[in-house]
Amino acid sequence: MEPIALSAEQPQGHTCKLHPQSMCPAFGSLRILSRIEGSHPVMATDTGCLYGLTFVTHFYGARKSILAPTLGSAELYSGEIVEGTRAAIEAAAREPGCRLVPVVSLCVAETAGMPEELLPRRVGDAEVVLVRVPAYAIHSHPEAKDVALEALLRRLGDREGPREDRTVVVVGEVFPADQLAIDAVLRRMGVEATVALPGRSIDDLRRAGRAAALAPLHPFYKGVTRLYREWGASVAGGAPVGISGTYAWLKSIGALLNLDPALVDQVAQEERAKAEAVLAAKSLKGARVLVTGYEGTELAYARLLVEAGAEVPYVSTSIGADPLALPDELWLKARGTQEVVYRKALEEDMAALDRYAPDFVLGTTPFAAAAKERGIPAMYFTNQLASRPFFLSGGMAATIGFVAETLERSNRYREMLAFFAE
Amino acid sequence: MPPALIRDLSDTSGYWAAVWTMCAMPDVHVIADAPVGCFNLVATAVPDYTDAIPHIENMTPATITEQEVGGKGTSDKVRWTYENLRASGALNGKQLIVISTAESEMIGADLSSVVTTLGEGTRFYWSNSLSEDEWSGRDRVLRWLWDQFGAPRAADVQPAPGTVNIIGPTYGCFNSPSDLEEVKRLIVGAGGRINLVYPMEATLADTPRLAAAQVNVVMYREFGAGLASMLGQPMLYAPFGLRETTSFVRELGQLLGTMDQAEAFIAAEKRTTLRAVWDLWRGPQGDWFGTTDVGIVAGRSYAEGLARYLGDELGMKIAFVSARPRRPNDPDNDQIRQMLHRRAPAFVFGSINEKIYLSEAGAKFARFFMAAFPGPTVRRAVGTPFMGYRGAVYVVQEIVNGLYDTLFNFLPVDQAYSMMRSGPPKIESAPGNLPWSLEAKAVLDEALEKLPYIPRISASRQMQMHVETLARERALKEITPDLVREALANAGM
Repeated sequence: MEPIALSAEQPQGHTCKLHPQSMCPAFGSLRILSRIEGSHPVMATDTGCLYGLTFVTHFYGARKSILAPTLGSAELYSGEIVEGTRAAIEAAAREPGCRLVPVVSLCVAETAGMPEELLPRRVGDAEVVLVRVPAYAIHSHPEAKDVALEALLRRLGDREGPREDRTVVVVGEVFPADQLAIDAVLRRMGVEATVALPGRSIDDLRRAGRAAALAPLHPFYKGVTRLYREWGASVAGGAPVGISGTYAWLKSIGALLNLDPALVDQVAQEERAKAEAVLAAKSLKGARVLVTGYEGTELAYARLLVEAGAEVPYVSTSIGADPLALPDELWLKARGTQEVVYRKALEEDMAALDRYAPDFVLGTTPFAAAAKERGIPAMYFTNQLASRPFFLSGGMAATIGFVAETLERSNRYREMLAFFAE
Repeated sequence: MPPALIRDLSDTSGYWAAVWTMCAMPDVHVIADAPVGCFNLVATAVPDYTDAIPHIENMTPATITEQEVGGKGTSDKVRWTYENLRASGALNGKQLIVISTAESEMIGADLSSVVTTLGEGTRFYWSNSLSEDEWSGRDRVLRWLWDQFGAPRAADVQPAPGTVNIIGPTYGCFNSPSDLEEVKRLIVGAGGRINLVYPMEATLADTPRLAAAQVNVVMYREFGAGLASMLGQPMLYAPFGLRETTSFVRELGQLLGTMDQAEAFIAAEKRTTLRAVWDLWRGPQGDWFGTTDVGIVAGRSYAEGLARYLGDELGMKIAFVSARPRRPNDPDNDQIRQMLHRRAPAFVFGSINEKIYLSEAGAKFARFFMAAFPGPTVRRAVGTPFMGYRGAVYVVQEIVNGLYDTLFNFLPVDQAYSMMRSGPPKIESAPGNLPWSLEAKAVLDEALEKLPYIPRISASRQMQMHVETLARERALKEITPDLVREALANAGM
């Protein structure tokens, strides 16, 4: 939660961060909270904030009605925020099948500091969980996913039942087929079960408390990681990405769970061979790509593209620097990546566009639009990559194939520019 | 009194109104006294999907963080943003306006004196976001713009004969490209010339020229009349349906002194554009209107305009109307949701909220038409107006095509395909009907009663077949109420 630099603190020679690139941070939490079956979120905030967040939640989260107390100046100044929020919780708990009421408190000073002890812990069959995601303190929507998941696990994770020594909690929003592929590979190594979070099921959250190991696939799950360390569980860093990443990740899970080393090594080698076969079939050699989304997963994607032969001189993301992201950053910098920017702003991405003349840009919507205005193939990272298989050899093939196909269509981007530039 | 709750908020705040109104003009640059989220939602995440633009370029956040919220105040951050924007050249030729947000208002950040120390002429706009909604917000922004940038420079501007302003749209006005195109066409048809379309096709520097029009056409009943009354010239609202549009063209002709041209335009439109309505009215399609019901949730202009046209003119049954902003007796989202869960009308005009309520209810026999924000939609083609004569044709065309689709979905399809079987159904169908208990029949009737009128006959036949197939699969001799309930649940009814 470092503050964004003021001018005096701005390092010399660096671009000024005028237009930060992140969704509203709170959206990350709403996406996770609204998708859980039986979960009926309550939002405590002002109307402008409520409108925007409801809009994006209804677009990208779930077809789910969202309740909120009325918070205009009258309610704020008369101190009726807690009363209104309690009424909204009661109404949400009456929804059919309601088992969870997440209360999302946001930027407005009065709701950001809402005292948890004044809210019920349980109404009827529903657990009430306060999730604090003021944008001014969280800074990016991936990190708000972590905040929400940590809050849910702290409340719902089952710490009473017998520990499941060969169960791994795999954390990260991934393509559904990736979950199945990861589960299948881990089972071949001797893992008994995986629990995929965040997901649709409250029972998965409960069971996750009994698991012996955590595998955060994305580097922003720092709160969840901290929680599992408190719980005495093992944590596997990295992710099954590309050739080297997959091999190392499988070996590390095997070691953490004390699985049969020979079996683990056999599976890891098989997976490495499959990944090598994917690269042998398709290469991105000669392509220069900028990976500049705001999902917090950009470093892993850059790593995969570099393994596939692409040059990735610049990677930027909305999340802050964190030890969880460091291995990928070092790996990239050892292989030609010149800049890795955290908490990025549009100005930094634009400067990279000038500096590196890329063949393909994966970016935020404003930045992808700017690249297309120069006739450079560009796509919105969130919609195009985050919604495709990515992990293990199957994900590699899908991701590399997608980038290669886009590069083959490059002339469309130049022709469209030529048409509108005339 | 229990605290008022909001279900799926339909109207955004005065802050959004200010950004979406001011940033429509390219010679404005806005600094929002806001944290990152309030910037992203207003400038990118939502207008991507309401206005189909990549982002609003002439806006920068002060990106307030916990330092500012925690007591430092936001003025240093706003000044820093200003200095860097100026250094980048982004403010060249621009009027800078600093706008407050709910978050900055909550910590009392009144920057009206701070802006006087920024670039010359920089203004501060208190968006009053904790009290004003987007509609009253837009109305006040437009009045403020006139007061600050128009009136002081308009002393010598006189109304020119034959000229007309269009006030509205801003960003975030549903379907505005098509409606604007049609309103312009009507004005020209009536004998007028367009002076300014404000703010969407104007610059801030144009503002004094608002005084040059003889008549002001206000696109929306939700906002804009405030500015029109300050301008003082006669005002008309953009029209819906046949009768209202005809009155509009006539009145405009009278105000402009172009009555002959207006009458000739109306007569020509009846022979050309509107011929489709007359043909459909005389054809079999028109017979359905009286038996088909419609629910309408939309901005006030749309809600009232559609209710008058579909209800008063075409004779459709109006199940409910709820305007935005809500009028005193309009159902709120909670009540709309309950109505749609209980029994959805054949057609629902609305926002994504109503679409979600229909999904929750599994009401697959109701047809949904996007007619309002919130909700993602592209409405940039100019051939899909709801307003004016072309709007009357477009809306009736959508309705009839909706009826065709409903009918299509109820025509029998061979079960071998629909059930993905490789051959005919394996169940030996004994000829003749199975007997139904009275209770079972009552369960089916109750379910059918909830359906819109048109698909009811086909649905009744189809459900009967489903139930009897199920019974035969289980070798039952009579249809029981539980069996009907099971079949209905399978069919999502």
